[in-house]
Order: sequence, then structure tokens, then C-alpha cells
Amino acid sequence: MVGIAMPRKTAKSSGRSFLGSFPVSWLFLLPTVVFFIGWQLYPIARVAWMSFTDYHFLRTNEPVHWVGFQNYREALSDPLVRTGLWRAAAFTGLFLPGMIFIPMVVAVLVDRVTHAKLATMYRLVLLIPSMIPGPLIFVLWKWMYDLYIGPINWLLVDVLGVYTIRDQPQWLGSSTTVFPAITVMEWWWGLGYHTMFFLAGLATIPRDLYDSARVDGANEWRLFWNITFNRLRPIILVLVVLRFGTAMAVIDEYLIMGGFNRDRPTYTWTVYMWDLGFKLGDWNQGYAATVGWIGALAMLIVVGGLFWLFRSRD
Amino acid sequence: MAENPRVRTLFNDVFAGRLTRREVMQRAAALGLSAPVVAALAHANASMAFAAEEGTLTPTFYQWMIDNHGPSIEQVNADFNKTFPLDMKIAPVEGFGIERFVAEARDQNSTWDVYFGQTPFVDMKSLIDSGAIEPWDAYIPEDVLADMIPAVREEGTYDGKLYNWPFLLDITIQGWNADIVQRADLDPEAAPKDWDEYLGNAQKVIDSGAAPFGCTFDAHGWRSLVPITHTINTDVYTEEDLFDFTNDSVVEALEIMKRMMEVSHPDVLNPGTTDGGVNGTPDEGAFAAQQVAYYVKYQNAHLRFAGTWPDPSMLRLAGMPKPEGGAGGTVFWDTGAALFKYGKNKEQAAAYLKALTYDDRVWEHSMVGGEGAVPAGQLPIYQSIWEKYESNPPEWLPDWAFLIRDQLQFSQAIRTHAFGVSQFLSIGDQHWHKYLSGDESDPRKALQAAKDAVLVEVEKAG
Repeated sequence: MVGIAMPRKTAKSSGRSFLGSFPVSWLFLLPTVVFFIGWQLYPIARVAWMSFTDYHFLRTNEPVHWVGFQNYREALSDPLVRTGLWRAAAFTGLFLPGMIFIPMVVAVLVDRVTHAKLATMYRLVLLIPSMIPGPLIFVLWKWMYDLYIGPINWLLVDVLGVYTIRDQPQWLGSSTTVFPAITVMEWWWGLGYHTMFFLAGLATIPRDLYDSARVDGANEWRLFWNITFNRLRPIILVLVVLRFGTAMAVIDEYLIMGGFNRDRPTYTWTVYMWDLGFKLGDWNQGYAATVGWIGALAMLIVVGGLFWLFRSRD
Repeated sequence: MAENPRVRTLFNDVFAGRLTRREVMQRAAALGLSAPVVAALAHANASMAFAAEEGTLTPTFYQWMIDNHGPSIEQVNADFNKTFPLDMKIAPVEGFGIERFVAEARDQNSTWDVYFGQTPFVDMKSLIDSGAIEPWDAYIPEDVLADMIPAVREEGTYDGKLYNWPFLLDITIQGWNADIVQRADLDPEAAPKDWDEYLGNAQKVIDSGAAPFGCTFDAHGWRSLVPITHTINTDVYTEEDLFDFTNDSVVEALEIMKRMMEVSHPDVLNPGTTDGGVNGTPDEGAFAAQQVAYYVKYQNAHLRFAGTWPDPSMLRLAGMPKPEGGAGGTVFWDTGAALFKYGKNKEQAAAYLKALTYDDRVWEHSMVGGEGAVPAGQLPIYQSIWEKYESNPPEWLPDWAFLIRDQLQFSQAIRTHAFGVSQFLSIGDQHWHKYLSGDESDPRKALQAAKDAVLVEVEKAG
């Protein structure tokens, strides 16, 4: 008689013993879990709760009331919310392509440098801006764009004579140039960081793919599009999703470089949310939370679309 | 006696153990309490005397106050520290943000005892509503209260109680660069008397090539629209204490500003570089860079930025131009101190405020500056100090001090309201700016839009 060897039930395959097998692992995970629950999950849940209430931060002696979807109805018909979201989308649309393709091209060029020390030097120089804290970057570029002491307008007005002192570009002060001005700053700031992502991705592409393609007569453009770009799709997806989120949620740059004028393009949904929650009247944080959730949900929908767009086609 | 709030406060402090025996005796005697009562209080305090001995007064300052007055404040602090421990902090209030104070008050807690940096029309109402601060009435000596310039005391009073212990006084005036004005073939010592003369001079500056621009101003409403309006009429507030944007005088002021735009630098409406665009504004850069002759703003701006000139003595100051038949007024505000409700050293805070606000070293540094420091030019708010300066002027007292102080009789404060500053900053300014930038041709329409926008927000806030 042939005995059929059944796999012995091990501790690993027993549900009840799952936790029992990994108590030490959970102990190591505990700080992260505490941080995740306390500083990410709880704030998200609390803000969600606030969005369904008439919570005003300064009304310390008044009870908070549940208002259901009233805040959402109001926010969806609030022109500042819609305008704010469109403004953020406009900035994102301007910022994102450059933030992806410029570092990609730079990475391809740096990757071709065969001299090891030179390649290392390029990488270091590219990374310098990313080491500088954000507020310092904003102050630096405010100086760069300054009309009286900034080097850009000094070059355009005093050296090249392209503009006069009266018609010189106002960069951050003009509604037409403020987004391009902030975009250029962001491209410069993030160039090195994103180039490193692409360099890491390029390192994973087998060289013989390029060799084979060249043998088959592929030119540089075909090599780039069919091999490099295709193989970098996962990295592009990661960067697009990350940068889409950060671009839509920009607030620091707008507060430092844009001010509180609601007519300016920099008064986006994030600035409006902050204004509502910490400046106006009794700080209607219930409504501000609603604006935040509407923005977050809009972004999630777009991110879902991006995942579909960049899905693996293998 | 039980009705006297100061006596009640003394009893509370005794039983909370916040006082030393000496303080009990001094305060009880000052209040005129009988000997047996004083003895009883001293005995009651004896068992709780340790609390106050261990206390440390923790004032917190808005950063710009230390930037402008740091050396003199630190001198006062060093002296005060000899009588009671003091630990000065910088307040986390960039962009006039008071969130931290409010958040701590909700927890019935306060890291600090007193906040320096409160401006009544900006943040006082919010601090009162949130319960973060309490009135000074129970702690401020009567003689100090009586010594305050009445208009300044009124500015810091809400609902009959003093919530702002005033400290640094600012008044909106006109100033100019005498060197540029002289090169434009104008009298550098003569202040333009009305707005036509002001704008005519500004145009002459440009035409002569003495400077690229004739005049400048700060585009925030409370720093330009309101003071220019006050030169025409000071009765421009609604019953709810909001600025009445559609008042005829405001329309006239906006039209004056439109004419100022024509002789001003192109970025005058741009936001500033700090505090969410509120400070570090383009007008400051233009005046400091000597690109412009005439400047309307509070006096500390003229003094600080003229201090960067090769020859700061070229600065001239005067009261605002006054249109014919106009009120000739302007705007003042003071930056003062708020007493945290949940602070622990309130008596000491009052003593510190008295020491700081009366100290001549603070006023000398403010008006004259120090080593490597330009003067901020902010002024004291006590009548006795000004009487002392009049009868026996100190050597360091600058000529312009009385000139600016004298504007106070024509000045009015912006009313305290929850939307005191945001009626301009976040809501109203963008609308009347459209008239200045040319996006709206009708000033009344622009101002009506501002008023409507403010009312919508006020209604939303309930």
C-alpha cells in the first residue's frame, strides 16, 4: 500500500499560530504601526469626521454638531474650491512633464559618461539643490526673481537691454508668469533627485538590448522610445504619481511666493483650505476639512487613471 | 472689599501659592488691607510660598520685535532677571498665526505667560474669542492705566476691558528721500500739503530723471487705502465695525491711489517676501534701493529702509497730505502684549510690562538705533514719557519724534473685529486692486465687490 505523504501541518500554515510565530517581528514593527496609526490614520479619520461637522476651532465653548453632507454640498458649489482645484491642476499640468522628461534626458546623458570620476562629479552637482531645505529655496528664488536686486532682471534690463525698468517681467508678481516662474524653480530643485531615480532605472536595462537593436538598424530615437522609455515606465509611474500628488498639494511655495490675494493663480484649494482653517473668522475647520477631502478625492481619481495609463503591458 | 477685583486676585494668588511673603505684604499694603488681614494672608501664604519662588516668567515675542528692538529688550530682561527669573522666547507666529496659542488654550494650558506682538485689529478678537487671553485689568497698576494715551488705551480695549497692553506705536505718515527731491528741483524740506501737490511732485521726480519712480505705497488695505481714506474722512466704518468700502471717501481715496499707481513702480501690487506676503513688500525694496522719492507707510518703514541709504539723514518725514476740506486724519496702531489666561506668572508679567514699556533704553534704541542697527522708530504710548521729553528732552531724541507723535491727534485706529485684517488681506484687497491694475475701470464697482465679498465671509462665519 502506498502511503500518501501529507504535508505536516506546520506552525506557519496555522492561522492561530501566525501571530505566535512572529511575535518578535511585530515588536519591531510596533513603532511604525504606532506612527502610522497615530500620525497618519488617526488624523485622516479625524479630518474626515470634522468634514461632517460645523467645527469652528475658535468656538471653544460651543458644542460641535453633525451636519452630514452640508459642508460637501456647499463646497462643491463654492467657486473658490472649483477655481482652486483648476489652478492647482494648471500648475501640475505645467510642472509635471518637465519634472519627468528633463531628469530623464539628463539621466540618459549622464549614464553615457564613461569617465567614472566625471560621472560621479555630475551626480554630486545635480544633487546639490535637493540638499537645500525648501524655505531656503523659496527665499533664494524670490531673490532671483526680484525686480531691483535679482540677477535675472538685472541681466534682462541692465545688461541685455531686452526690457526697461518699467516693463520688465514681474515673474512672481504677474498672473501670467507666476506659475512658470515657480515651475522653473521646482524643476531646478528636483532635477538631481529625479535624475537619480532614472539613473537607477537605467542601470537595470540590459546593455545587449541596445546592441541588438543597433544591429537591427534602430536609430537613437527608436532606442530611446522602444527600449529606454519602455523599460523606465515603472519608474515614470512612481514619479508621476508622487509628483502629481505633491504638485496638486503645493502650499508652502504659494504662501511664501504668492500671498493671500484670491485673484492670483497661486490662491489654490490648499491655500483656501489653510485660509479657512487658520485665518478667516472663527476658523471653520469643518468646512476646511471638507475642502481638503474634496481635493484629496479628486487627486485619488486622477491617480487611479494614471495607474491604468501606466499599467504593465507585458 | 470682596467686590474689588484686585483684592480677589490677591486672595486667589495667595491660596494658589504664587506669591512670596514679601509680595503678599507689598500688595496687601498697596490695597490698604488691615493689619490682621495682612497677617492672615501672610500666614496662609507661608505654606505655599515655594510656588512663586520656582516660577519663571516666560514672555514670548514676535520675531520682528526682537529683530528691531532686541538689544534694548535684552538689557531690560537682564535687569528684570535679577528680581524674578525670566526666560524670553520667540513666538511661533509667522504670518500672524496664533494657532499654537489657541490650541494650548483649548487644553487649558500655556507654554508662555505673555505674548508680545498682538495688534488689536489683527488678532486680538480671535485671541479673546478662543479664550487664550484674559484682560490686564486685574494686574495693571492704576497709574499706568491712567498714563496711557487715551486713544491707544481705547484701541486695546474690548467690551470695556483692556486686552492689549500697548507697547510700540506706529502711525502712517508720508516720508521722502530729500536727495532725490532736491535733484528733481523741488524743495527737499517742504512736505506736500495735499494729494495734488504730492502727485505733482512725484511726476516731477520722474520727469527730471532724479529717480525712476515718483512715489510708492504698501498695497495692503490697512497700510494704504485706510490711511489715505482717513485724510479725507475718518467716519468710514459700519455699525459692525467693518471698513465701509463703498463710502464716498473710500472711493475718493482709491482714485488717489490710482493716480499714485501711474507714478509708482510696476510691482507695487505684488505680495511681499515674508509672512505670507504681508511683509518684505515691494515698496520697502523700492524705497531702500532709492528708486522712488515719496513713500506713504507707518514711520518705522521709512526709518528702517532709509537706514540702508549711504546717507540716512536724507530722510524727511511729515504728516499725511490732506485734501482740501478733508479730515486730515491717518491710521495708527500699536503692537502690544496679551496676557495668556493659562499663564502662571501674571503679576510678574505686569511688572515686566511696566519695566519694559517705561524704560528709556528701549525708546532710545527704537528712535536712534544702536551699533550697526537702524532705528525702528516706534514710539512710546505713555503721556508721562512724552511730558518728560517735552520738558527735558534727552540728547538722543530725534526731531521727528514729536512730529510723528503729534499725528496721533488726527489718527484713528482700525476697529477691532474678527475680520479686522482679513477684510483686507484675504478678502477685500484683491477686488479694489483690480481698479488699480486696470482690470476694472469703475472704482465703485471694485469697492462694492470688496464689500460684498467681506459680507459673504462674515455671514459664513455666523
